[in-house]
Amino acid sequence: MPGAAIKIGSKQAVEPVSGPAGIAQVQGNSAAQPAWGVLDGIVHLLTCGSVDDGKSTLIGRLLWDASDLPEDTRQTLRKSAGPDGEPDVSLLLDGLVAEREQGITIDIAWRYFDAGPRRYVVIDSPGHEQYTRNMASGASHADVAIMLVDARHGVKRQTRRHAAILDLIGVRQVILAVNKMDVADWSEKLFREIETDFSSVARNFAFEKALAIPVSAKLGDNVARRSQHMPWYDGPVLLDELARVPGRGTASSGEFRMPVQLVLRGGQDFRGLAGTISGGSVRPGDRIQDALSGREARVRRIATMDRDLDEASAGQAVVLQLDTDIDVARGAVLAGPQARPISAREIDARLVWLADTALDAANGLLLRTATDLVPIAALKVRARLDLETLAQNAAETCTTNDIVIADIALGRAVAIDLFAEHRETGSFVVVDALSGATLAGGIVKAARETTADMDTASFLLTDDLLARGVCLGLDPADAEFRRRAEEVALILRAAGVVVSTR
Amino acid sequence: MTRHFSHLDVLETESIHIFREAAAQFRKPVLLYSIGKDSTVLLHLARKAFYPQKPPFPLLHIDTTWKFRDMIAFRDNTVRELGLELLVQTNQDGIKRGVTPLTYAPSLYTDIMKTAALKQGLDLYGFDAAFGGARRDEEASRAKERVFSFRSPGHRWDPRKQRPEMWRLLNGRLGTGETARIFPLSNWTERDVWRYLLREKLAVVPLYMAAVRPTITRNGQILVLDDDRMPLLPGETVEYRRVRFRTLGCWPLTAAVLSDAADIESVVAETLAATTSERQGRLIDHDQTGAMERKKQEGYF
Repeated sequence: MPGAAIKIGSKQAVEPVSGPAGIAQVQGNSAAQPAWGVLDGIVHLLTCGSVDDGKSTLIGRLLWDASDLPEDTRQTLRKSAGPDGEPDVSLLLDGLVAEREQGITIDIAWRYFDAGPRRYVVIDSPGHEQYTRNMASGASHADVAIMLVDARHGVKRQTRRHAAILDLIGVRQVILAVNKMDVADWSEKLFREIETDFSSVARNFAFEKALAIPVSAKLGDNVARRSQHMPWYDGPVLLDELARVPGRGTASSGEFRMPVQLVLRGGQDFRGLAGTISGGSVRPGDRIQDALSGREARVRRIATMDRDLDEASAGQAVVLQLDTDIDVARGAVLAGPQARPISAREIDARLVWLADTALDAANGLLLRTATDLVPIAALKVRARLDLETLAQNAAETCTTNDIVIADIALGRAVAIDLFAEHRETGSFVVVDALSGATLAGGIVKAARETTADMDTASFLLTDDLLARGVCLGLDPADAEFRRRAEEVALILRAAGVVVSTR
Repeated sequence: MTRHFSHLDVLETESIHIFREAAAQFRKPVLLYSIGKDSTVLLHLARKAFYPQKPPFPLLHIDTTWKFRDMIAFRDNTVRELGLELLVQTNQDGIKRGVTPLTYAPSLYTDIMKTAALKQGLDLYGFDAAFGGARRDEEASRAKERVFSFRSPGHRWDPRKQRPEMWRLLNGRLGTGETARIFPLSNWTERDVWRYLLREKLAVVPLYMAAVRPTITRNGQILVLDDDRMPLLPGETVEYRRVRFRTLGCWPLTAAVLSDAADIESVVAETLAATTSERQGRLIDHDQTGAMERKKQEGYF
């Protein structure tokens, strides 16, 4: 009988956090894995290294030895086995046709596998210098990075460059996989030398943990299983070390932050602020404030479709209803009463230039924060960072793959944090106003507070005025009318004029 | 205080975040609804994202006229129950030319009846963004897909010209003539979709559950006959077998698997223990090397 949808029980109005009865919410590492496999959080791991270091082989090996790889994929791979009978596990990482033809990985690829009680997301990015931007954007999603070196070559300039990028982008856990130990006589002496070099590199940065592990990706030694060839190594194997990384799904304490994405309404009196909490936690009754205006209110309700919550913390998407209307909308950042984000007009930033073209200061630029979009009045490059020496070399412009220190002046104030304190509200991208392209990724090193009375000019942009000229012949309800109105407002704001619309 | 969330909670939050970002940044989005399990999860997440409002966009279904009858009934029932707006797009020109999965090679059939119809639908209504249920774990070319994926005029996808995505920031500003495809389920796996269907107690098309159905075996694949449009080849006989589907598409192009999993719990158990990847059941993907990548460049989801 077509059409009879199979209904699996009915959703109750109120139910425990856990979902279906009998399935406990995963709490720490204590809860056993339910039969149908809810996992304890997600760990995003970035792999950096070049083709020669055996990166694809290392990840392929992890997938082959430790993951839930489907049998048909295994079959296909076995067919590729060489004369030694070992499958070429690097083929598991094959990508787009264009890249296969070139024999290199030129973009970021995402792989997923489950091992033990955890989900792993492998972010595979190219390591070569000309792909610094790909690595940086990959790193922005990573909880841990595996840096790869060939045991015969040791720590190279590239390793230093990679460490600098990881540090800048905020990766706090790094692992150095010293690969190809099988063709380096399984030499402890060699490994210890590399380990020492690595420690001296890592000391320059703010990593919480930096560990070197001797492996053979080709044979699987110390990847998912302990090597029989290196009895002198008593540290963790790669997979065990990954299992210790705090993953996404671990909400830390800290100041409350929620960038507002949307205003949602329901019924007569419900005006909810929708967003994903990016720091700290909130409960009904808590005092919160709007970062830009400083206006305060109390949280009345934390609503979700499933039920109202008694508490919500970082990593949860919610709708907050406040007890008074403090006139906030998309772009606002809600904060706890103690320390609010900076209302910034000027930012001291680090930028990773992602675009194919060099910075063109004459182009209209926009700054996209967590949920706000602001015109950039001026973007001035001060210095280019030499990733190998960490020297700051004076520079006035930047191009593809550059990492630069820049001052950014904004057309109006934006709520922003320091990246070191709040990752999500302390990062941004620079957008080309015309093409929409993402030109650069940036982090906030410092920001200057300003007050509203610094605004020197203001302008009331009305539909009437627009209809007389730039939107002549268009209806104010038209999308094109609105688009032009926004562009005019953008230009004015970029010139430092405060624009209000009616 | 430290709290742990399960991986499904993390994925759910991420998807809701993506829905909200897209709805805030695009002028006229639409949700590509293909009736299958991924669409079911997609729609459920959309409802969560905008609660207490309804999702602020319609659903668009690309109907090739070769979908299983159970799928169409499920679709109509779903939009009625949830009070949503449904748009259905069929490539009428393809129908007139007699383009069917029986008469055309799978890749050509897909180009005409799915890809072209999709572009027609998006252009007809002027949608600037379309939500889709594609996941990065489905296929190699999808593994590099962005969450906000931009298409040049003509809906073409250039894998070399994708916008980098950093942190949780999603840049939805369009260039002239550009449109976007939005993939809220990017980081989900097939198993996650099933686990989530179970956790959220969602209804799915009955074809996902094992039942005795009329089948034939062709090229080593089990096909279920949904009506009498497909003539049997010499030597083929109809066999009644207990089968279910892991993925749903046009019925002559979608292979079933033998299974006894008659309820969703058993299906999930079977899926978690599965040893083959999901798209093996999709005959269109096997047509040529790099098939999916080529389809994507031409505008397919």
